[in-house]
Amino acid sequence: MNKFIKIPLILAMVTFLTSGLIVFSENATREKIAQQKKLLLLESLKDLIPDALHDNDLVQNAVKIYKPKILGHRKEQNLFIGQLNGKTTVIAIPVTARNGYSGDIDLMIGVKVTGEITSVKILEQHETPGLGDLIQANKSDWLKQFPTLSFDKVGIKHWKVKRDGGKFDQITGATITPRAVVAAIKQALLFQKNYAKTTKNGEQK
Amino acid sequence: MSGFIRKRLIDDNAALVQLLGLCPLLAVSNSVVNALGLAIATVFTLTLTNALVSAIKPIISKEIRISLFVLIIASVVTALEMFMNAYFHELYLILGIFIPLIVTNCIIMARAESFASKNSIWLAIKDGFFTGLGFALVLVVIGAIREILGNGSLFNQAHLLFGEFGKIIQWQIFDDYQGFLIAILPPGAFFVLAILIAIKNKVSK
Repeated sequence: MNKFIKIPLILAMVTFLTSGLIVFSENATREKIAQQKKLLLLESLKDLIPDALHDNDLVQNAVKIYKPKILGHRKEQNLFIGQLNGKTTVIAIPVTARNGYSGDIDLMIGVKVTGEITSVKILEQHETPGLGDLIQANKSDWLKQFPTLSFDKVGIKHWKVKRDGGKFDQITGATITPRAVVAAIKQALLFQKNYAKTTKNGEQK
Repeated sequence: MSGFIRKRLIDDNAALVQLLGLCPLLAVSNSVVNALGLAIATVFTLTLTNALVSAIKPIISKEIRISLFVLIIASVVTALEMFMNAYFHELYLILGIFIPLIVTNCIIMARAESFASKNSIWLAIKDGFFTGLGFALVLVVIGAIREILGNGSLFNQAHLLFGEFGKIIQWQIFDDYQGFLIAILPPGAFFVLAILIAIKNKVSK
């Protein structure tokens, strides 16, 4: 057979077979992957929106938000709403801190209607190992100081690291990362305050 | 041990002697579980691609052989990535970019080109498995040394790989260990690899 026919033919055949392999794997794993993602998400929401404070399906009731200015979002994110008997009790607010030491820090912050923090989660960060990454819950206790705090307990003016005249410890050797995280949490609290106002009116009518 | 196996595991070890595939070797060897995850993925890919390359040996022509190898390797890795995403979701998230990057691991291309495309399927499978195993062993040993030095633990987070059984084999060797940061950081990988190569050279003489 002519070389100019044979070679493209072989390439086409192998391409067809390998594409078949990918199509097969995609079909075989699609559902399982979606399920895994949902499980992981629910697991990470557990601290943010405690089971005792909601009886609704968090994933189904999630709302898309995109607030690049106040919450630093780079793309549409999910805002999770915990409701008990149809009344909102806690919301989990996604925030992207753009002023980390190396790249964005993605956080999720759970805030009760009363303005009290339930939990803070670091979803993604690329801070320096051993310094900035101590913000992670499994590496140090730094993040544990935030739950139960609110603007009532720590005035809005004091939501800064100590070096900037605020209330929160920086981490030795790393000021930039905690500064970014504290600012992000403050933004989330402000957002929640506004959110609570607007939805209260919405629910009443 | 037959000469065939010994050559691939020790004398011509892909990582220690040929110094191939160093990027993933250095990048994900910061804990045993990470190393083991990538090691298994690499052995699996190498065995399967070797088998497939050998299977299409009759239709490979010199001009397009590299394209065919790339097609096969890329699609096998893509399929593997989907299955890992589905069944080892958290480990998949940790290994991140290094799963798709198995495509560019030069060991795989090297074995396809220099061995699998010239030998029978059975020999190609054996070659892929034992070459991969040689690489995997080095990866896991480096992972173990770095984890012990850096974290004072072994098999930390093993449940990502082994489920419930993993929680049993997690072992904190030194309690209250302060951590030896450089072992976890990239320089530690170079040091440990260098020491292993030195030992290998000494022993081989």
